[in-house]
Amino acid sequence: MSLTTARTDWRTSIERRLTKTREFVDDTEPAALGVVLVSMGSLLAAFVGFLLASPWTVVPLAGFLVATGYGWVRHQALVARAVTFAMTTVTLVTLGLIVVFIFAESIPAFRYETATVFGVSVPGLGMFAQTRWDAVSEPVRYSLLPMVHGTVLVTAIATLVAGPLGVAAALFIAEIAPPRVRELVKPGIEILAGIPSIVYGFIGFTVINPWASDAFALNGGSTYLFVGMVVGLMALPTVVSVAEDALTSVPDVMKDGSLALGATDWQSMTSITLPAAFSGVSAAVLLGVGRAIGETMAATVMLAGIPRISEPLLNVFYGYETLTSLIARGYGSANGVHESALFAAGVVLFVTVLCLSVASQYIEARMRRRLGGAE
Amino acid sequence: MSRDAGRQAGAVSRRKYLLASAAVGTAGLAGCSGDSGGDGGDGDGGDGGDGGDQSSNSMNSGSSGPATVTAEGSSTVYPISNKGSSYWNSNSPASDGEYWGANDESSVAGWDQIKTDQNIADYFAGLYGFETTGERSNPPFATRVALSHSGTGCEAVRDGLVDVGNSSGPITAELDISEEQRDENYVDHVVGRDGQPVFVSQEIYDAGVEQLTGDQIRGIYQGDVTNWSEVGGPDQEIYVVGRAEGSGTDTSFRLNMLGDADAPMDVDTRLGQNQQVQQVLQDNDNAIGYMALAFAGSGIQAIAIDFEGTVYRPDPDAENTIFDSEYPLNRDLHMYTRIDEETPDGTDVREAAFLNMFLTEFGQKTFVEDVNYITLPTSDIEAEREKLPDQA
Repeated sequence: MSLTTARTDWRTSIERRLTKTREFVDDTEPAALGVVLVSMGSLLAAFVGFLLASPWTVVPLAGFLVATGYGWVRHQALVARAVTFAMTTVTLVTLGLIVVFIFAESIPAFRYETATVFGVSVPGLGMFAQTRWDAVSEPVRYSLLPMVHGTVLVTAIATLVAGPLGVAAALFIAEIAPPRVRELVKPGIEILAGIPSIVYGFIGFTVINPWASDAFALNGGSTYLFVGMVVGLMALPTVVSVAEDALTSVPDVMKDGSLALGATDWQSMTSITLPAAFSGVSAAVLLGVGRAIGETMAATVMLAGIPRISEPLLNVFYGYETLTSLIARGYGSANGVHESALFAAGVVLFVTVLCLSVASQYIEARMRRRLGGAE
Repeated sequence: MSRDAGRQAGAVSRRKYLLASAAVGTAGLAGCSGDSGGDGGDGDGGDGGDGGDQSSNSMNSGSSGPATVTAEGSSTVYPISNKGSSYWNSNSPASDGEYWGANDESSVAGWDQIKTDQNIADYFAGLYGFETTGERSNPPFATRVALSHSGTGCEAVRDGLVDVGNSSGPITAELDISEEQRDENYVDHVVGRDGQPVFVSQEIYDAGVEQLTGDQIRGIYQGDVTNWSEVGGPDQEIYVVGRAEGSGTDTSFRLNMLGDADAPMDVDTRLGQNQQVQQVLQDNDNAIGYMALAFAGSGIQAIAIDFEGTVYRPDPDAENTIFDSEYPLNRDLHMYTRIDEETPDGTDVREAAFLNMFLTEFGQKTFVEDVNYITLPTSDIEAEREKLPDQA
């Protein structure tokens, strides 16, 4: 019963769309339609040419530019619609191609690390079911677990640094600081974001590592603790500026209402502003986490670069390797399955960041529903 | 070739255009098709063969003269390659005295074997029939060296991205190919040697560890020896510094010291660059590492190694030194060129002109010894020159 309804719905909606398209075609000037078709068609042809690495790609590309340029002068509204649509598609297609590429490149490694569970062979399981990574000597194994462990530790420490510091700083700038201080402090924090990560890494390598080696009597100074703290500092500007934007965008009426009821500034902040801006603030922290996961240079120069799991598991005074530093350190000398295993590390990173981004979207949507702020 | 030179001599201003057309003309006169670079090796076809090569070079870059020789690869070979390239591009005149040639005050090393009044790049390019420019900073063709890794350099020359691939490890290990595949597709030009001496932190050296045996070093790098007191040093843990997994330096250390290119290792850190090893050895008071001789400095000490009774010392005046070619940790520094349809010999005349510069007494002293690498013995130099096409 419900199945037939669904199918009828589906059919009606297609019919409606067809009618709409027909009306649109009837209403539009044939010349404008022609220009848009030529322009989009040649863009598509250029894309196909690019995929085939054809030397003739330039011809449809030029056709696209000419048709669009002509259309822009003659039928601007319609061409603008088509061009903005095409630009969005280009972004998505680029993302798609990158994803397809890293997945395709990592296939040999997943195949190599096939393991059998209950009689079923699962490609890639070996990367997560044992802990040995050795790309050179027998037995050659490519476990990603040590790097996942390193990435998790570094990210956790970085979040512990960047989260509280960042949210506190954002609260201060948005709610407490007088305007003049705010104008000075905010750009200052944003300048932090402009320091290249290799500079942080270099300071870590030449100053922090030798110091940690002496101060904690470590054999060599690489530690997840200090890498995490450095990465946390690097993620800080992201957290501060996004959280600050979220806090300032809480409507004044809400705060005024709270103050009118006799709440103090601090009470309004904790019971009105922060909860109302919670989705934005948590998105800020998640963005910071994403930055920490992807941070490469500082981790590469400060960590020891040997894939191993520290003992005990949470001992942050070891610093072995993260997913990103594995790629950065290995790409130059890797080939064959080793190179493919680096792409597999990239796949793991990609999936993690994807999950994070979905999670932050979900939190945001949930908070919006609960507070009913936006809709 | 004289005919060629005569036609070009009068038209310096239109030199580049004429070079292309004259070369094509010569090729036509000699009845050579444009892609017959291989004829350069035959005695009677030498003239036409050179013309053919030049025309194909010219065609690579339109009509603007021969294409730039590009090289890429290992950071270990880079100092040699880059210094050579800088000298080449400067095209210093023979009156310079410091970089090329001789004057009243000084002369460059090995000058008595060269004695020319041409500029540096003019001279070496001229040996392969290129037209000279006679101008400082304007070589007959330019050279460019990029810095990456041995593996990247080998891949770049394999894929035809560069003319010369610099590698500190054998291409067979870098690209995982057989020796037959190597001989079929690449020409291996060895331009110098690199010792991979073992260094320790100054504190360890001062505490008495001035010499280790091969077995002791193997023990340290395979995790059997973890405290300096086990090898006659202070009671301190050993911080073992290895090199990037699978890199040329890593591979040759495993091969030469541990006995097998994929021998297992147990190290405390792996570092990609020589500079990092140097820094870490200085920063820690209990570290051991190996790196190119060129990066020796204060705060670290090279130690002597006893291989099966022969002690190789870091002192150039000792009986056996780490500069000897017998020293097991020495490795050849390679510049690979690719064999393809256009250059069945593997090395075209541009590449040969450039590479030949390194295979002279002048080149060995200036580009190899002066950047702290080990020069090739005379017999090796002759063997390397045999790999280049005949000179014009």
